[in-house]
Amino acid sequence: MNLRVLASTMAVQMKNSFARPGIRMCLLIAPVANTILLYYMFQHSGRADFGMYVVLGAGLTSLWETIIFSSMGDINRERWNGTLCLLFGMPTPYPLILLGKIIGNTVMAFAALVLSYAAAYILFGITLTVNSAWLLIAALLLSGVSFVVVSQFTAYALTLSRKIVIYMNCLNFPIFLLCGFAFPIETLPSWALPLSYALPPTWAVRMLRMCFAPAIDLALYGQYALILLGELALFGLMARLLYRAVDTQVRVHATLEVF
Amino acid sequence: MHNVIEVRDLRREYVTQKGWVRRKKHVVEAVKGITFDVREGEIFGLLGQNGAGKTTTIKILITLLAPTGGTCRVLGHDTMSESKEIRGRINFIFGGELGVYRRLSARDNLRYFANLYRVEPKTAKKQIDEILALVDLSDKADLRVETYSKGMIQRLQIARGLINDPEIILMDEPTVGLDPLGARMLRDVIRRLKSHGKTVLLTTHYMYEADELCDRIAIIHDGQIVALDTPKGLKQSVKGNEAIEITVDRADPAALDRIKALTGVKALTVKECETGEIIHVSYSADTDISGPLLDTLADSRVVSWSRKELTLEDAFIILTGEGE
Repeated sequence: MNLRVLASTMAVQMKNSFARPGIRMCLLIAPVANTILLYYMFQHSGRADFGMYVVLGAGLTSLWETIIFSSMGDINRERWNGTLCLLFGMPTPYPLILLGKIIGNTVMAFAALVLSYAAAYILFGITLTVNSAWLLIAALLLSGVSFVVVSQFTAYALTLSRKIVIYMNCLNFPIFLLCGFAFPIETLPSWALPLSYALPPTWAVRMLRMCFAPAIDLALYGQYALILLGELALFGLMARLLYRAVDTQVRVHATLEVF
Repeated sequence: MHNVIEVRDLRREYVTQKGWVRRKKHVVEAVKGITFDVREGEIFGLLGQNGAGKTTTIKILITLLAPTGGTCRVLGHDTMSESKEIRGRINFIFGGELGVYRRLSARDNLRYFANLYRVEPKTAKKQIDEILALVDLSDKADLRVETYSKGMIQRLQIARGLINDPEIILMDEPTVGLDPLGARMLRDVIRRLKSHGKTVLLTTHYMYEADELCDRIAIIHDGQIVALDTPKGLKQSVKGNEAIEITVDRADPAALDRIKALTGVKALTVKECETGEIIHVSYSADTDISGPLLDTLADSRVVSWSRKELTLEDAFIILTGEGE
């Protein structure tokens, strides 16, 4: 893996993304708006830990929105700008370029979590207590990786299609709901649970919540981490196989450009 | 000199589907079995009108499109199954304003593409300065591209196309929309690339550009190569034809149609000039068209009349049958 390529792609991506008003809105305004919305939805829930649901729910929702609208929307933008075919035609493998873009966006999108917490603290006096800083860092890292892997997988699929914007909007809420960003997934209908369990961010979110619980069950935390790592490996493998198909199909169906 | 590009019976179809319930398939055959070679160090032109299949051919050569049939080898490698071996050794320039990041500066664009082409940072830095000077963008190199004019963006495209010091550079209508100075600069760049032993394949529909630059030209029409030779050879291939240029105050469209219908007339083009319009007619040398021609133009004021050497444009129109 060429780290220089990865780093420069991340830097270019962050520069390009932040220059767009739509992404600034997702990154700076949406976390505050989502925090306010979730606070008023949850304030009478009767749960002592509702503050955590407000901060994590708003932060993760905004984080996912930023990733999806920048990483995946970017494929369409690159297609219309005539740069997607350039990237595809480089000696650097396209998956590496795409990975750099998604990591860049994910790193930038983590600001949404910070902003959600800042908004919850300033507007509603919500504070969160972390029971283990190291476990929180590990959970945040794994959350980032899980978002990157899911995004990479989805971005390959979206490289195949010019109707990307429709699919992009379709992906926003299902992940928010299925991964339980703002509520425990046990409240979902039972038929939806297998889908939830199949998505790596579900486990990352659970691990994050555990870090803010009064006491942490280390065995359970480890179990979630193992499931998450297993799913990440599986998604990684599927993404690899998918890319093989994408590499041929985009050239057969001429979907790298807009004609 | 050996061949660096080998194209054999290349075909490409585009399939589109319309409708929700009963989907209708629409197949467009863009390239219909073309064959040609490009030799190392030559400037090779693909000359054709819009929609002739030039861009499709270039996109297959640069590994971005799969052929529907036939084979296509660049530097000895198949463009579909061995694209990795090709990509770092070639580069391409598309005409128009696309293909650069507008929110980045020209320098940042070039630095990024140099990274993607895996050019060493030290080499890239030196190369970027040299290329920016070559395309006359040094003083604007740190401004965002979104503040650039169309011509400047195209010059940046040219710079991007040179960033990896490619062995073969493929250009798709690179001078479209460029101002005369920009177009001349690009022609100088192309000549310089040739003098450094690089191979250039360019598509264009500007005849004078192809005539001036290319060692050999393939005329592509409706997805097929109708002629392939040196510019001189192409002009000679239509020997037995002659050309007349008549300057009139105003070319009446009905009169032009009547000229086209005259026996022996092969091609007709009209260009505006300061004194009116220049009608360029190429015709079969064994036909005397001067009398019927003057009769047809009886209602126009003829400013001048002269016999001309056949141009590449005449050859193109005669060979493609577009003047008929």
